[in-house]
Amino acid sequence: MAGSKVTVVISQAQGRNPIRRQLEEDIATSLIAEPGVDVSLVPHLYDMSNEHTGMLFLRSVPGNLILLSWLYERATRWTLDRAGIRGKEGLSLLKAAEDDEDFDDDEEKDDRTYKGIGSVNVPNRRIYSIDLRAADNAEAFLREIRRISEENSVQTVDLMSWIGGSPKPEQLQRYLEPERLLEARRALDSGSATHVDKAILPEDTGRRWYPVIDYSRCTNCMECIDFCLFGVYGVDALDRILVEEQDNCKKGCPACSRVCPENAIIFPQHKQPAIAGAAGEVSGLKIDLTKLFGGDTGESAVEMAIKERDRELILDGREAVGMSVGIKQKVREEIDQLIADLDALEF
Amino acid sequence: MFEEMHFMMGQYKAPIPDDRLYSPRHLWLKESGPGRYRVGFTAYSVRLLQDVYFLEWSIDPETLVRDKQEIGEIESAKAVSSMFPPFAGKVLSFNAQLLNDPSGINADNYGSGWLYEFETTSPPLSAAGYVEFLKSAWDDAQRTIKGQVNES
Repeated sequence: MAGSKVTVVISQAQGRNPIRRQLEEDIATSLIAEPGVDVSLVPHLYDMSNEHTGMLFLRSVPGNLILLSWLYERATRWTLDRAGIRGKEGLSLLKAAEDDEDFDDDEEKDDRTYKGIGSVNVPNRRIYSIDLRAADNAEAFLREIRRISEENSVQTVDLMSWIGGSPKPEQLQRYLEPERLLEARRALDSGSATHVDKAILPEDTGRRWYPVIDYSRCTNCMECIDFCLFGVYGVDALDRILVEEQDNCKKGCPACSRVCPENAIIFPQHKQPAIAGAAGEVSGLKIDLTKLFGGDTGESAVEMAIKERDRELILDGREAVGMSVGIKQKVREEIDQLIADLDALEF
Repeated sequence: MFEEMHFMMGQYKAPIPDDRLYSPRHLWLKESGPGRYRVGFTAYSVRLLQDVYFLEWSIDPETLVRDKQEIGEIESAKAVSSMFPPFAGKVLSFNAQLLNDPSGINADNYGSGWLYEFETTSPPLSAAGYVEFLKSAWDDAQRTIKGQVNES
């Protein structure tokens, strides 16, 4: 019975990195032949606008969903949430090496528990996010997908909403033909794409930059909306903080993430894992050792955030505001945190 | 047992083995040829950094570097830092093992967790010289770290 089917969607890497393309293709090709699994590919999740057909397709997936992407799991999960693609959090056992918590240094463990406001309108199905950087061969991912597929095959009762096989709007048809998608993609990469190939491929996506809120951490404290002066944040009908105007955000600027007391704001494309949504670590409020290791600067997270914001204000032809707007609570929290960090160092 | 040289950081005893040389940037240098060294973090650095989970080099192998030139970034559960070469010189190659998983720095900072191969004509410090340097700089180091509390 189709009720136990799992849909696997591969969010493709940005650019055309051949190694990443190959891994995506290896996984997709194997899954096409896999019973109990539907597979498709969409453009890079973070870069798709809300109305992109790939996003529409994801919204149309009714049952359990496994999303493989080149993002940290938290970034994937909360990007989907913002797009209205929700479900209970499925637990993937395939983790990137960095997430391994096998350090045995006693007092340094992150045991902070978050008291976020959580998501709303969560349907009764599961969404599993898997980071494609967690392994470099398709087999590891296929094993995990099979495990998840089995895990879910026993609870078919919950999934009466499955409508697989029912007609989809024409523009979503392409996502139901993964072989054809892969073929068109190969043609594109080798420069031999025909009009037919190009029509099959999803609309192009440019690279985007905007914050993603992790509501399992967010306490709705409104520090971010006070701090950001570019009109990115708003509140929804329930007065919950919302990334309202994603594209008002300033490319490269992660300042609001640095001032968030809960580290709930993810910039999936930032080079620092803590900001890009890596699991585990808490503190953006880190001790800067640059001075000790030979550098001349030593900036706290708040100092960095203020600089980053001022730079964007000036680029916009506005006045820099420095410390004068929206930073109060953060400074207090930062002092607490640093003192705790120092205690841990046993000076 | 042979008593290694060390430096006391509060309660923590940071070993400073004297089978190699040192830089005041808190790096060790072990000679692998004339003017050629393998470079890594000292126990002092690692104690301050703690669990490293991000390491990125901003230069390519075979690059000439100035003293105090930024060559990469490191981030741990507790700290962030830019990275600098031990002296002016040439970075020859990076430890490929750390590129995917920098936790090797914590596991074996004086061994397999080395950072890069380096060429320099500057004379490094002896282990005893580095320990002396640590003693003289310890008050400053604590002030630098604690100062980040007061500045806020």
